Amino acid sequence: MINGEILENNRLKGDYFLVRFHAPEICAKARAGQFVHVRINDHGDRILRRPFSIHDCAGETLSLVYKVVGHGTKELSELAPGAVCDLLGPLGVGFSDPAPGMTPVLVAGGYGAAATYLLTKQVPQRGLFLLGARSESDVLLTEKYEKAGYEVRVATNDGSMGYHGFVTGLVEQLLAEKPDGKFFFYGCGPHPMLMALAKLLRAHHQPGELSIDHLMCCGIGACFACVVKVKADTPTGWTYARACADGPVFNLDSVYVE
Amino acid sequence: MADLTCNLGRLTLKNPVMTASGTFGYGYEYHQYYDISRLGAVVVKGIRMEPSPGNPTPRVAEVTGGMLNAIGLQGPGVETFLHGEHYLPFLRSVHATTIVNMWGKTIQEYGEVAARLDAESDGIAALEINISCPNVKAGGVAFGTDLKLAHEVVSLVRSRTKLPLITKLSPNVTCIADFARAVVDAGSDMVSLINTIPGMSIDIETRRPRIANRTGGFSGPALKPIAVRMVYDVAHAVKVPVIGMGGIMNGDDAIEFFLAGASAVAVGTANFVDPYAALKVIDGINTYLDRHGIASVSEIIGALR
Repeated sequence: MINGEILENNRLKGDYFLVRFHAPEICAKARAGQFVHVRINDHGDRILRRPFSIHDCAGETLSLVYKVVGHGTKELSELAPGAVCDLLGPLGVGFSDPAPGMTPVLVAGGYGAAATYLLTKQVPQRGLFLLGARSESDVLLTEKYEKAGYEVRVATNDGSMGYHGFVTGLVEQLLAEKPDGKFFFYGCGPHPMLMALAKLLRAHHQPGELSIDHLMCCGIGACFACVVKVKADTPTGWTYARACADGPVFNLDSVYVE
Repeated sequence: MADLTCNLGRLTLKNPVMTASGTFGYGYEYHQYYDISRLGAVVVKGIRMEPSPGNPTPRVAEVTGGMLNAIGLQGPGVETFLHGEHYLPFLRSVHATTIVNMWGKTIQEYGEVAARLDAESDGIAALEINISCPNVKAGGVAFGTDLKLAHEVVSLVRSRTKLPLITKLSPNVTCIADFARAVVDAGSDMVSLINTIPGMSIDIETRRPRIANRTGGFSGPALKPIAVRMVYDVAHAVKVPVIGMGGIMNGDDAIEFFLAGASAVAVGTANFVDPYAALKVIDGINTYLDRHGIASVSEIIGALR
């Protein structure tokens, strides 16, 4: 647990923001797919921390991307450089590296785009970044992926940019284009998107990992609030695993799809 | 430094600060942050005979001054608890003072769990009987809100174990002191209170309850005045030690409970906000006692003017 000073806190577009903290202790350990649990204030009325995927670590600077969706993120968006937040992390299990010779394919939905970026620094291979968003106004961070040498393909639900449809449509296209491609998929985004992605990848016998994000409380594995279903040898075929401690990254093989 | 030794009948703790069941896992997670043997006791998440999957998600919602939870007592079952690497063997290995919170879906199951824990009690300092989880409906019966059933459950557990017994009381009754008297009469060595209060929160955009169970137990700092009042009532109704909890965020909050009559306190929701919360409560108690020139924490128990 450290006090992270805000270096900058800027609007990316719409309700999306990028905040940079001075957090050398976290940057020294962080891996793609891990998260930081942020205590935004010390007021008594809203007490819980807010978890954010680690977007980037550059030197001693930790970057998080967030969307203003409620009280906590609104307050965070109003903090100016110099303000300090209590940061707990890096927490959780991150993404693993693909085997040599495999092409990483990062599949993100919405601001899930934030969580896969560190892979471009962690993984030696270059690959593809497939982003699905509601509309052009929700398309984020594509330039950063291009700069990192990734091929970027975009899908929007309303057709305002790129492929008209879901990001899984881009995955299907890719698999059709390169039926012999040796891919390793990394997914991060809303739950329905991840479940659709899991089904599709399984049907094509493709390997990968998914970051399954869930409403979280303690962030360290104690409270069992953020559980997700994983395959298990139980009468139901599943058991609940903790997204914060057993995940948020789960191998595709262990993800339970209803 | 004041003397923090905490005497709870035949159970003596190094200090009066424990963790509230369900907010500290099985101790393992928090030991990554600090040596949990520094706590008066670790009260583990509730244990029953069989593994329990718990409730569907979402299981928590933040509300003003606290949170609602309906975890539904997800747990590994008693055998895994007794022998699993990250459970009792771990707690024993780090010399944590361990109190096992236990429950059952039937009265008989309470007896079975107690007997199982009693048979392998190395490393277990006491049992805490959970008769009051608001989120698990055992055959439609709420043991904690029926005087006769509460007495029956505690009597059965008492007959199955020699370990010190704590009974955790439900606040969802008209007169909590009556329940304290009933469980003490049934052989409980002490009582702990309060458990959470059932609450509800609704997302007005989707018109859906914000937790899947629809209702959940309310905890957090907003709960404290209710908890302090109930501890005060119970401390005047029974002669056994009272363990107070409900919204304790710091040492000063704990002091309020001691003054109201608690002999020990438990830190709950605060653990979710700050993993070091329970340790900071110990420090805060020390600071208060030193500031007031009080030599021992026992001097302020029930010392309300």
